[in-house]
Amino acid sequence: MSKRYTIGLVALVLGLLLALQFRTTQNIEPTVPYDRASELTAELRALEKETTGLEADVGDLERKLSRARMGYTQAEEILRSEVKDAAVIAGVTAVEGPGVRVRINNPAGQGAQSGIFTVRDEDLLKLLNELRATGAEAMSINGQRIISTSEVRLAGSFINVNTQKITPPYEILAIGGPAALRSSLEIRNGLVETLRDWGMEVTVEDDDRIVIPAYRGSLKFEYAQQAREG
Amino acid sequence: MLLVALFLGLMMAVQYRLSRDVERTVPIQRVQRLSAQVESARMERDRFQMRVTELRNELDTVTTQAGLKPLKEKLAQYRIEAGLVPVTGPGVEVSLNDSNTALQPGQNPNLYVLHDEDVLRVLNELRAAGAEVMAINGERLLSTSEVRCIGPTILVNKIRRVAAPFVITAVGEPDTMISALKMRGGVVDTLQQFWGIQVTVRKMNQVTIPAYRGSRMFTHAREAGGER
Repeated sequence: MSKRYTIGLVALVLGLLLALQFRTTQNIEPTVPYDRASELTAELRALEKETTGLEADVGDLERKLSRARMGYTQAEEILRSEVKDAAVIAGVTAVEGPGVRVRINNPAGQGAQSGIFTVRDEDLLKLLNELRATGAEAMSINGQRIISTSEVRLAGSFINVNTQKITPPYEILAIGGPAALRSSLEIRNGLVETLRDWGMEVTVEDDDRIVIPAYRGSLKFEYAQQAREG
Repeated sequence: MLLVALFLGLMMAVQYRLSRDVERTVPIQRVQRLSAQVESARMERDRFQMRVTELRNELDTVTTQAGLKPLKEKLAQYRIEAGLVPVTGPGVEVSLNDSNTALQPGQNPNLYVLHDEDVLRVLNELRAAGAEVMAINGERLLSTSEVRCIGPTILVNKIRRVAAPFVITAVGEPDTMISALKMRGGVVDTLQQFWGIQVTVRKMNQVTIPAYRGSRMFTHAREAGGER
């Protein structure tokens, strides 16, 4: 009798082991490593892209450097072109290129500023964030160029951008790959769909020539100083 | 009985071998191979990055003539905004961590972890309070920097993955930034009291923020009205 129990017990343990065994084999293969592998592949691609960009920078700077060594006139000319290039990146120059135009307005028939589903600063911030994630190179909201320190913030009943008041309808311009920018916003269950579900009027159109104005504020740094190394 | 024990032993052995074999399966090898590639790609990138910094410094040293001073001052300003150079100055350090609230059964745990929009809101508040230059976990924030939640980490500048706790450093007037964050009903209040997110704000006499690691050359945008 007790022998039977023993066998029963052993069989039970065996069954458990078998089950465990089965689960391990099932788990290992598809899920975990696949995600990691694709994550790493994406990282690899991005790093390579960065290196290509930096390589171009090196070439450009080497050319500039050898010319700047020639004399005062050349040095001045090169410095001017460096300033021009940095100005484009810093946002103090108007830029143009292909991109998208996003218009967003409060739900129809809701002229008043209040309402749960009127367009809020965070809706605009999320749109900007999405565009940035998809590689937008320059952006503006209602004519205000977005630079690294631009806030989009509800102050009273208006939204401020670069400390300037903006009013609906809002128009966001972004330069970048138009198809990618558009689909990142209009993807199913994406941001635009959510905003539309809330009753807001949103249109996204791409254009092969978007012009984005320069930053109009001053770029004075009172606290930040260039560090020696970093 | 003996037979059963034997069988059991066999199973255990198989189990043991299986876990050892895991290391040798193709997916794992793939990950190892890719990790090695990523590592060498990163070294390559860093090498070019250093070369760029070197060349910029050299360009600075060959353009020291007195007449070029106004141009150089302009360039220095634009470079800071463009994220091309590291900066230092007084400011604040804000660290954010997931909620320590004990969840009640049925509550959605997702509501109590830090989301990208929380980080966005803190950054936005700092900008409104006059932050001049910012970074998150040492990653320089540019006009084009997104903040995106991917699992337990956030992605910044397309490929930089940073993990909690998230530490935001900002150069600017410390007291203005601190009072903007800590305003009653403000960002810190909402995050802390409503969602239980752990937020600490520290005033710093000096913070140093690195330059952006990567190229900032545009591929789509060009100067308006300039040549094609």
